[in-house]
Amino acid sequence: MSYVEFSSDAFLVAFFLYCFAFMFYVIAFAGKKWSNRDPIAHQRRWGRIAFIVSSTGLASHLAFFFTRWIGSGQIPTSNMYEFMTFLAMSIMIAYTIVYAIYRKPLLGVFALPLTIIIVAYAAVFPQEVQPLIPALDSIWLKVHVTTAALGEAFFAVGFAAGLMYLLRVIDYNDKTKNGRRAQFWLEFTLYSIIVIVGFIIAVFAFRGAGYEAEFTQEKVIIDSRGVQTETTSNVHYTLPPIFKPYNSEIVSVQPFLGVDKPLFEAPSWMNGINAGRKLNTVVWSIIAGTLIYGLLRLAFRKPLGAVIHPMMEGIDPEDLDEISYRAIAIGFPVFTLGALIFAMIWAEIAWGRFWGWDPKEVWALITWLFYSAYLHFRLSRGWQGLRSSWLAVIGFVIVLFTLIGVNLIIAGLHSYSGV
Amino acid sequence: MQVVILAAVLIVGGYAIGTTLFAERGSGFLKPGERPPEFSLANMEGGVTSLSDYAGKPVVINFWGTFCEPCVKEMPEFERQYKKWQDKDLTILAINLSEDTLTVKNFLNRFNLSYPILRDEARKTERNFALRQYPTTFFVKADGTLMEAVVGGMTEEDIDKRIVRLLQL
Amino acid sequence: MLVPENTKCECGHHNSVGTVLCEYCGKPLHQDLQKSDEPLEMRYDGVARRSQKSNPSYIDRVWNFFSSVKIAIYLIVITFLTAMLGTIYPQESSFINNFDPSTYYRETYGTMGHLYYVLGLSHTYESWWFIGLLVMIGTSLVICSLDRVLPLYRALNKQQIRKHHQFLLRQKAVYKGTLNQDAAEWVSQYGDALKKKGYRIHREESGTALLAEKNRFSRWGPYINHIGLILFLLAIVARAIPGWQMDAYITIPDGDTVQIKDTNYYVKNEKFNVEFYADDELPEQLQGKARAKKYLTEAVMYKCVSDCGNPLKEPVLEEVKRHDIIVNSPLSHDGIKLFQFDFNLNPRLNAVNPVLEDKTTGEIYGPFYLPMKDAELHYELGPFTLDLYANYMEFALGSDGKPTTLSRDPNAPAFVFTVKGPGLHPDGEPYIYFPMQKDKVRFAQDTINRDLAERIEIRVDGMENVDFSEATTVLNVRVDRAVPYLWVGAVFSMLGLIMGSYWQHRRIWLRVDGAEVVLGAHTNKNWFGMRSDVAFGLKKTGIEVDPKSLDNGGKNA
Repeated sequence: MSYVEFSSDAFLVAFFLYCFAFMFYVIAFAGKKWSNRDPIAHQRRWGRIAFIVSSTGLASHLAFFFTRWIGSGQIPTSNMYEFMTFLAMSIMIAYTIVYAIYRKPLLGVFALPLTIIIVAYAAVFPQEVQPLIPALDSIWLKVHVTTAALGEAFFAVGFAAGLMYLLRVIDYNDKTKNGRRAQFWLEFTLYSIIVIVGFIIAVFAFRGAGYEAEFTQEKVIIDSRGVQTETTSNVHYTLPPIFKPYNSEIVSVQPFLGVDKPLFEAPSWMNGINAGRKLNTVVWSIIAGTLIYGLLRLAFRKPLGAVIHPMMEGIDPEDLDEISYRAIAIGFPVFTLGALIFAMIWAEIAWGRFWGWDPKEVWALITWLFYSAYLHFRLSRGWQGLRSSWLAVIGFVIVLFTLIGVNLIIAGLHSYSGV
Repeated sequence: MQVVILAAVLIVGGYAIGTTLFAERGSGFLKPGERPPEFSLANMEGGVTSLSDYAGKPVVINFWGTFCEPCVKEMPEFERQYKKWQDKDLTILAINLSEDTLTVKNFLNRFNLSYPILRDEARKTERNFALRQYPTTFFVKADGTLMEAVVGGMTEEDIDKRIVRLLQL
Repeated sequence: MLVPENTKCECGHHNSVGTVLCEYCGKPLHQDLQKSDEPLEMRYDGVARRSQKSNPSYIDRVWNFFSSVKIAIYLIVITFLTAMLGTIYPQESSFINNFDPSTYYRETYGTMGHLYYVLGLSHTYESWWFIGLLVMIGTSLVICSLDRVLPLYRALNKQQIRKHHQFLLRQKAVYKGTLNQDAAEWVSQYGDALKKKGYRIHREESGTALLAEKNRFSRWGPYINHIGLILFLLAIVARAIPGWQMDAYITIPDGDTVQIKDTNYYVKNEKFNVEFYADDELPEQLQGKARAKKYLTEAVMYKCVSDCGNPLKEPVLEEVKRHDIIVNSPLSHDGIKLFQFDFNLNPRLNAVNPVLEDKTTGEIYGPFYLPMKDAELHYELGPFTLDLYANYMEFALGSDGKPTTLSRDPNAPAFVFTVKGPGLHPDGEPYIYFPMQKDKVRFAQDTINRDLAERIEIRVDGMENVDFSEATTVLNVRVDRAVPYLWVGAVFSMLGLIMGSYWQHRRIWLRVDGAEVVLGAHTNKNWFGMRSDVAFGLKKTGIEVDPKSLDNGGKNA
């Protein structure tokens, strides 16, 4: 068995261990109200089991990382699949560090699903080892990507704790305007997470069914000399086409639910590489996410926040607030070093310019400015609890946009690690 | 103390903002009112001709090449214009686009041109002028600033009209 | 900020205007604050900021504006919101070659694109208002820091050990209890316990009041970070000094030497090499695509030592540096860096070494060296002489039917010689020569040369007699003399961040009056750790408390 094959197995093991650990955390929480139990002992016992299982998962994940590194001869952080798995691993590391400080296993209930979602998201992308183009072959790249991911992982833990705080504190019986607004946005946050889950499920469901559709797209390019050239390229869809690419013809479309042709065409301004397919994917994610959300609402007959809120009882919100803040405060210097300083050093070595206002760079700067505003709000303006938790949630949305959104929507130098 | 710091901030900040306001942007192609970049180039008599040799006089700078048909068509027209306005202290400098010696000499043997022909080398001057197409002609006023830059071929009438304007200014 | 009516504390200490907590005993100075029993706001230890004056002048108002953290946060927020706008469409600076922004945005992105250009968002990060925001952030960094760090330094440097009861009981971590042993002895024990945790202990002479303090240096972290950021911003401003920064591109075919603009240096591309991934090294979907594995320019840098800038003479060059430029490994000399940027693999003919065959005798003369540019005008080959009469880089027949050239690049070179020799006309006969086989056929060389084509032939024997550039390298020339200062700023900034983030300033004050112990503790971060330190000390001296019970409510900073 080659190293790379072994690493794939280790990855699968890690994934399942994370899933089990998550289940045990849920048992630790939800189970404390079961009869005939001492709630504190129950929670401590299952919390410990869950932590051991998740740590084993992390060990397995680390095994994946290093065997893949040895097997491929390059650090596995160079494409979206590798980067996302690395980010998930960093979140587990950050979680373990925060756990070591606070000894609060409860954080796992939210850190683990986050990890699981990111691992599953990573699995959507092609998993083969890709040889590096020369621009990426530098020690500073490794240092830059790993450190930046670690910093972002702490922000993720801050997000998990912040979200828990909101779920713990926001009162679903509050009928005031402010109360309703808070409920709405919290519910929206949960819905957004479910849309991401919907994306993953849709991709795997259709991939499992072997779904395929193909289009030829014609594009007119006018080059710098004013010469007009037409190119046709084939666009592959793995999800049934709701939107077909702009200015394209069908090559083949497998019927889905009896529909065998696309319903709409992508608008003309979406003429980038694969823009039509990306739009189609987004629409499918929203459909799948909304479907899941709807089913959950039907099953529980109340907002999801109101379902989770009672489970949070007994957790000290101040602790959550402190953990969220602490995780961000720990992550901020790491992020500064990795995403800005190391990035500048690498850019200086590779291109001779430490900063080029590339979209990815700008978004890293935006992330940094956002979290520095967060820290100033908290330290100097006394923004704590609710407001601080909302900022932690928004901050992580910005992090995710920097990592994924920029690659999906805006192309730049970093697009070679894109989708 | 406060005054010193605020003054320092004002100077440094003003400098930073000021450079953005006056920064050159875009192609760097000369605009009316700007000064063309200086050059010193070999002429056909074995000497050196510089733009600064003609300081205080109106100058027409024409970039040409034997491979550029509209340039070739223009040259006899420039010759007639040069003769017409010579006594008014008008100079025409025709800069060849980095072609080799034999090519330029053969070309000049065909046309009997009396205005100075200069030889650019390795496209240096052409790059400094941010040339994009040929021919391009720069009409420079006596005060050393650009009156107009014309991209593409011109008829004799076009040239004449501009020179009249150049000499009146 | 609260404006106190009275700056003199009941303990007799005179405080400066704007002080919240008495610098000496810590008692709140403001009436409203005295009545409340909420935990105290301990920011900057309640000292007055420098800028707080009772009747501010015009300069004071400007100063006050920038000294406000609220304004600083607004500036940060506005900056990142506007920075987002700049990423909607590509910036002008991301285009290198002939590119006209006034039409590009409209053509590519339609009306929205044109609006983007008109609003100046296509150069957001070079716009006066964005730079203005950064300048304002810089100003705010300087003024906010100065305004706070000096008073804070004074306050922390002369701390009073025995604090007012109000001060102690209104900390966020508080303990109150009664002792059943000697006060001085207990305080001493408590101090010893904390010493083990790394605290520095200051005891009042009476022995019944104590101040334990740890990691005060972490308080300077934010300010060191800000100094680093200021240095960083200054270094960026310094890049605008003429000559401190250059960013240019040079294109060099194999074997050529090109001057670096505005400098006395020349670069030669001796050879450009490129290697592609083989198909078996690539995953399936990338196969068949030319994915470059490595590309390298064998570059030599020269310095001009004489005849520089003289158009009549060739410059005299002296080699200064030789380096194989690859991505991530530039040639670097005297602050100038040459980076591998791009390449193209269009070949270019430089010279040929043809021979002349006398077809009547079968005798071969030569070879002779014939470069495409500035070739010699006269050649003697055995009994034959060749005089170069005309040459064309890209041969074609013009609209007047005469031969002409379409460009100045040797795409289809042609040479016209006057040939003299045995059996030929004494004045010589014209012979046209196309070095490239394809042109020879296309323009029917033998037909043009007519009879002479049967007498002589000029041809190249074998590829070893052809000199051509296989590739052209594109190098990016960079000069950035501000970079070292930038790194100094970054190091300061990082140092400050680490100091401020990974250590916390912790202080414990306690006083014993009779048998009553009152203890207050303060930290700027991590109350969790603060409380456990207090509890640890209490436990060592025989008082068991749950750390959580020390929590006096209030906000977690």
